[in-house]
Amino acid sequence: MRHLNAIALAIFLVVVMALFALTPRHTEMMQARFLGVIAPLLKNGSSLQKQIIGFREGMKTLNQLDAENKQLRVELDELKAMDQTLQGLASENNQLRRALQYRERSVFKLVPARIIARDAATWWSTIEVDKGSSDGVTPDQPVLTEDGLVGKTTTDIAPHASKVLLISDENCGVAATVEGTREHGIVRGTRTSTVTAPDLTLGFLSKLAGLKTGQKVYSSGEGGVFPVGILIGEVKQFEVLPLEGTASIIPSVDLSTIEDVFIVTGGSK
Amino acid sequence: MIYPYLILAQFLALAIQEYIPSLPYGARVYLLPLVFFYGALAVPPPGMLLLAFTGGLMWDALVASLAVDGNLEISLGWSIVIYAALGAIMSGFRPLFQRGHGWEIHCLLSGPLVCIFVLSEYLMITFRRGGFIFPKIIWWRIGGEGLAAMIAAPFVFLFLHWLALGFGLVARRRDREAARV
Repeated sequence: MRHLNAIALAIFLVVVMALFALTPRHTEMMQARFLGVIAPLLKNGSSLQKQIIGFREGMKTLNQLDAENKQLRVELDELKAMDQTLQGLASENNQLRRALQYRERSVFKLVPARIIARDAATWWSTIEVDKGSSDGVTPDQPVLTEDGLVGKTTTDIAPHASKVLLISDENCGVAATVEGTREHGIVRGTRTSTVTAPDLTLGFLSKLAGLKTGQKVYSSGEGGVFPVGILIGEVKQFEVLPLEGTASIIPSVDLSTIEDVFIVTGGSK
Repeated sequence: MIYPYLILAQFLALAIQEYIPSLPYGARVYLLPLVFFYGALAVPPPGMLLLAFTGGLMWDALVASLAVDGNLEISLGWSIVIYAALGAIMSGFRPLFQRGHGWEIHCLLSGPLVCIFVLSEYLMITFRRGGFIFPKIIWWRIGGEGLAAMIAAPFVFLFLHWLALGFGLVARRRDREAARV
């Protein structure tokens, strides 16, 4: 029996050493493959969870549903009208940029995605969504909602699922600017941050920045991952440290309750 | 065969734990380690190493080993090593499991072992990111996960053991004693 244990331990160590020797590229491939295997289970679990919640919330009277339906139709019409106006403005903007010999601003394509699992780990703030490489998702693509920035895609991308690193994670840095100022800094989460209690800070500010509570923080577009002008959140408190100014930020998106997001892919609409 | 059963249980536990909401201070309820600890009691050490490999690999593939800017924070394989070390501790109590004290051992050890597992993950990312910080919330989170594991452990143990007995994957205590006589 002792011989058998020793042989098993030796085989175990060899296999683990082989895993350690894998390149990051191979590791990413393995992770993507495993995500692809578990994704159908997560999707089914997610839709079951939604059905249960939907059943509880669906206990509405016909009058309530009728009123809600009318309100949604009005909102849809408003959004359609706004979309047409914005398309016109985008084309006008591009014409003017061409006239000024600026590089034409690309029109991003938004891929709608549904969250199938969230906040699985203790030390990382991530979610899994139901869109992957077959939908055009690649690593480091911004993820947002109508309220603002959510995070970016990671390298863990299966054909029909992918993992998103949230802005509340310490590893997700976003170059940002503050409305009404010329201040630039980096927004990132802290190590103690969670999805339910996100803790964002805007660092590398000038000590004289003097930011006020409620000032909006937007992505500045530097770094090339996040497009310019996406709302990140608003200033909660400004603090002067020995070397820099820093502000705590309240994210504009409630990361604990979002269900649907948009992934900004590179192609044109 | 008990191994396919336990590996499938690990896989399902990993998927199910994703739907359990987090506790205060961001503590999580982890089911996969509990399934693994049950396996460490139910199978001999070589089998425990196999389960440590499958469980750790699944954990690293889905939960840990997040690639940031092309670098992995925790290399694929570290969780396997930690699982094996923790499984070895649990395996030491296997004689008590065979004498019928399984769920108590599983419950008592799951808490501290989950705490060690989560703490080792934190130490690894701290080493990687720099800034050796240990605010109170970190300890609450680690302790909360250990406590949650201890609360969930008897349910996981009894469910897995009940199914394993039902399918004849583990021998009943009286059968083992009869075989010994």
